[in-house]
Amino acid sequence: MLGKSQIVRSVTVSLIALTFAVAAPNLSAQFQPPGSLGALAPANIAKPRPAAPFNLTGTWLHGGGTNNGFRFSPPAGFKLTPEAQVHYNAAQKAQAEGKVYRDDIGQCWPAGLPVIMTRVWPIAMVQMPTVIYMISEFMNSLRIIYMDGRPHTDPDIAVRSFNGESIGRWEKDTLVIDTTNFVPDHHWIDSGIPGSDALHIVERVQMIDNGNTLSIEYALTDPKSWEGEWKMTKRWRRVDERDIAEVSCLPDLNEHMPTTQSKNNVR
Amino acid sequence: MKRMLVAGSVVVALCIASSAYAHHSAANVDTTKSITVEGIVKQFKWANPHSWLQIEVVNSKGVAELWDFEMTSPALLVPSGWKATSVKAGEKVKVVGRPLKSGEPGGLFVSVTLPSGQVLSQGGPGPGYAAPTAPATPATPR
Repeated sequence: MLGKSQIVRSVTVSLIALTFAVAAPNLSAQFQPPGSLGALAPANIAKPRPAAPFNLTGTWLHGGGTNNGFRFSPPAGFKLTPEAQVHYNAAQKAQAEGKVYRDDIGQCWPAGLPVIMTRVWPIAMVQMPTVIYMISEFMNSLRIIYMDGRPHTDPDIAVRSFNGESIGRWEKDTLVIDTTNFVPDHHWIDSGIPGSDALHIVERVQMIDNGNTLSIEYALTDPKSWEGEWKMTKRWRRVDERDIAEVSCLPDLNEHMPTTQSKNNVR
Repeated sequence: MKRMLVAGSVVVALCIASSAYAHHSAANVDTTKSITVEGIVKQFKWANPHSWLQIEVVNSKGVAELWDFEMTSPALLVPSGWKATSVKAGEKVKVVGRPLKSGEPGGLFVSVTLPSGQVLSQGGPGPGYAAPTAPATPATPR
């Protein structure tokens, strides 16, 4: 026979276990509010929404044309915070000495947004009513852009990432993507210019050229690294003849890359 | 094996260099210079994001060195005639590359001359790989 205290303890333990069992699926799903639907839930996809102005499903490659460089270089007259200026000065010094400054991508760290968008690798994009997936062939880096009206995750519980957390919405013929919740380090916007956990990126995406070109205007702010807002526009062209493959940065491969292994890398 | 260093700027039609190496910095490579080495193939790795070729070179002091040459991805190599079996371990080859500024053995791959005399280079723009409007020489970490 169990005593009363044993029964109470047993019931309590069972309830705690049940609570964790029920909560577990939500804990693993972007900290969505209880009861909310995942982006691929049929009931979520089926909700009535205005038709999207365009569908960017396809494979896209940055490059081509004038004024379309792959770097997210700061604008003329830019001003960095003292913390970021230290990195920038060190990068300038390294470059003058023929060295590479903290090339974390070369050490297998993720490129992160926005840099991942302009690697010389195609990006497969899949558009659903509730979500857009962008998978760069380079390291198969994944961006998830939620289109189902959810807000950004509370920064206090968000699991920060290199591509950040993207929330999208339609504004007439433009897809507006708002991205926050970035990691605080090993994430570079350009040479010697760090992105911090205060980085905020707004992309205004338009489909032009009869659906064959994506134009994205970037607005970058990061009060921990620079003053004001940096704006730039990049273009991608549709590459229908390309698929993406599995691409990984592996230690045993990287050790044979002279550029990443040279002593002329400033860590 | 004979090692030949070709000093000075040798312009090679390598307009794909920017696309081949743009995913990480090659600022520690002297892209204005060319280096040629002869040796025995130790390994040839057919892989993403980069293939690589390692050869054993006997330097001017008679000491064997391992040289790694960083290549582009198979997607760019295939249109230039490459296969995973194009280079085999044990073969004597001649490799042209871009040297590291530090003088360490190794560099960026330009071309290889096989025992048959066939020359394989890299990076003819394949489908979907028209050259981007990137600086010719990636100069900074990205």
